[in-house]
Amino acid sequence: METRERIIQAYCNHLREHGKPPETVFVFCKELALSEREFFTEFPSLEAVESAFWEDLVARVVLAVEAGSEWAGFTARQRLLSFLYAFCEESLDSRSLLLLRLSHIGPMEKPAYLKGFERRFKAFAKSILLHGVSLNEVADRGRLSTLYPDALYLHFRSVVDFHLKDDSRGYERTDAFIEKTVAVAFDFVRTQIFDSSLDLVRFLIPAWDCHRE
Amino acid sequence: MNSQNSQDSIESTPVTRIAALAGAGVKVGVNYLKHYGRRAVGASSTDAELQERNASTVYETFSRLKGGPLKLAQMLSIDSNLLPEAYLKQFAKAQYSAPPLSYPLVVRTFRREFGVEPSALFDTFSQTAAHGASIGQVHRASKAGREYAVKVQYPGVADSLRSDIRVLKPIALQLLGLKERDVQEYLKEVETRLLEETDYALELKRSMELSERCKHLTNVRFTEYFPTLSSARILTMAWVEGVTLDKFADSTATQEARDVIGQALWDFYAHQVHVLRLFHADPHPGNFLVKDGQLWVLDFGCAKQLDDHFYQKQFRFLDPHLVEDSARFESALMDLEILLPTDKGPERERIIELCAQSVSLLALPFRNESFDFGDPLFMRAVYEMGEENSRSEATRDLQGRRGSPHSVYVNRAFFGLYSLLTRLRAKVRTGLPEALRAKVT
Repeated sequence: METRERIIQAYCNHLREHGKPPETVFVFCKELALSEREFFTEFPSLEAVESAFWEDLVARVVLAVEAGSEWAGFTARQRLLSFLYAFCEESLDSRSLLLLRLSHIGPMEKPAYLKGFERRFKAFAKSILLHGVSLNEVADRGRLSTLYPDALYLHFRSVVDFHLKDDSRGYERTDAFIEKTVAVAFDFVRTQIFDSSLDLVRFLIPAWDCHRE
Repeated sequence: MNSQNSQDSIESTPVTRIAALAGAGVKVGVNYLKHYGRRAVGASSTDAELQERNASTVYETFSRLKGGPLKLAQMLSIDSNLLPEAYLKQFAKAQYSAPPLSYPLVVRTFRREFGVEPSALFDTFSQTAAHGASIGQVHRASKAGREYAVKVQYPGVADSLRSDIRVLKPIALQLLGLKERDVQEYLKEVETRLLEETDYALELKRSMELSERCKHLTNVRFTEYFPTLSSARILTMAWVEGVTLDKFADSTATQEARDVIGQALWDFYAHQVHVLRLFHADPHPGNFLVKDGQLWVLDFGCAKQLDDHFYQKQFRFLDPHLVEDSARFESALMDLEILLPTDKGPERERIIELCAQSVSLLALPFRNESFDFGDPLFMRAVYEMGEENSRSEATRDLQGRRGSPHSVYVNRAFFGLYSLLTRLRAKVRTGLPEALRAKVT
């Protein structure tokens, strides 16, 4: 196994077993019988390890859905739905980690260890929005459109949050939640309400832009 | 996916559902205001017109909800006696349209139920639903030259049904001007049936059983079911191309063709109720198709089993001599708990009188060898009797608190059957069923 993979896996195991990240790189390397040089060659910090894990999870799901036989013919809305359903399915393997790292924070919070998660999802969101614009499914509204990925990320986080709190059989309520909220989201990007409310938000919170990449 | 309609916007949480329904209440109020306002300025605005407007407001609200509320609308629409005519017309619409489920969710359901995508099981599979079912939707698929209808259930339907009904009950009762005690059995039935209908495995079993046991009936046809392509959430059957029964009834079909279909419908119910004692309890026109002059029966989600004890108690009322023999008639009413030992004096007399009237009327088609449902007087008489009963305080008490809950299913099936036949304007060979004939003579 590659060192990178080994580090990520060991980090996750540590997280699962101890309920918290390793204290220092030194302690972590000792557990793993790894030199600090080897560690720092791969990652700048422990948080970066975790960030990579979450980024990989999103990337895996994106790859899987994009490989689907009907993907090419899907609308933006169908693509987003496919991703969200697939993510919920895939995330069952890492549910204990999600519970540990995401269930105690709100969808608006942006801890450093979720950077990669956010980055990878937004890249995906941009690609489906572009597809949506080309199909006239999503209105291109110039500068305002740049906020769509942020909105979709917030939605994604709330889906994950809902999924983690869902106690229905087979997480059926999450399915319904995804179905209904995506319908609302796509209704928004078609109408003026989205523009007007975001305009208002931007007016009220000038700091909004600072958080964006 | 690009085609959107108002039914697309599904009310999500119980709170927004309540809000939507409360909205309808307000609209109904506004319509009343408009009505009285118009009257005040001297313009004519009839009561019927008002009811019509209210009904469409209520329907618009119901159509934005799916699952429980839609089903409740359907259930209520079957019983002509519960709803004013205007509401009935609007609710009948609810029997067709349901909002679509996204294709990715259909794929997810397939993955869960079968572990593979629809494309792995079928050569073609429509991404959009061919039509809606009350708690799911039907996709058209094909494989090796055969056409299939694949019914896929909405996720979490069973879980949300109970809360739907709880939320809906008081509001619906108020909107429709019904008293809870009049419809209590109904609502209980809706809940039980609905939960049963969410189990497609049970529906598959019943469909196959009932169609096997009815297949000898003339002009009654059943679609083929595919157990290997079905599960608790997905039900696969052969695709049938035909016109729905109400479209057929409203078409320019000849009297002869109408009679054939009406007869098939009558025979189908007679056989189920009197021979099998297990019947299709959902006789709304969307559950039947007409193809090549034959009646095709779809959707056995709602089936009711009658035990022998109840059957005897209920159907002895078909005996034409029973009403004439007051002692036997009274004891039959007591058996069904329509008449209670606590009923005394003139009230008791009135109850017996009313029951005699309704039994004579409802059993009318059984009294002769043939019956012409084309005669609008019959259904109007049934409807007027219901109106009269629901208007008088005395009989309102009667309806709600008495009778066996099993009778609800039987009544629903027969009201449904009678109104379908009336709509068809069919002349049908009726008469008493074989099983009862021997005892009567």
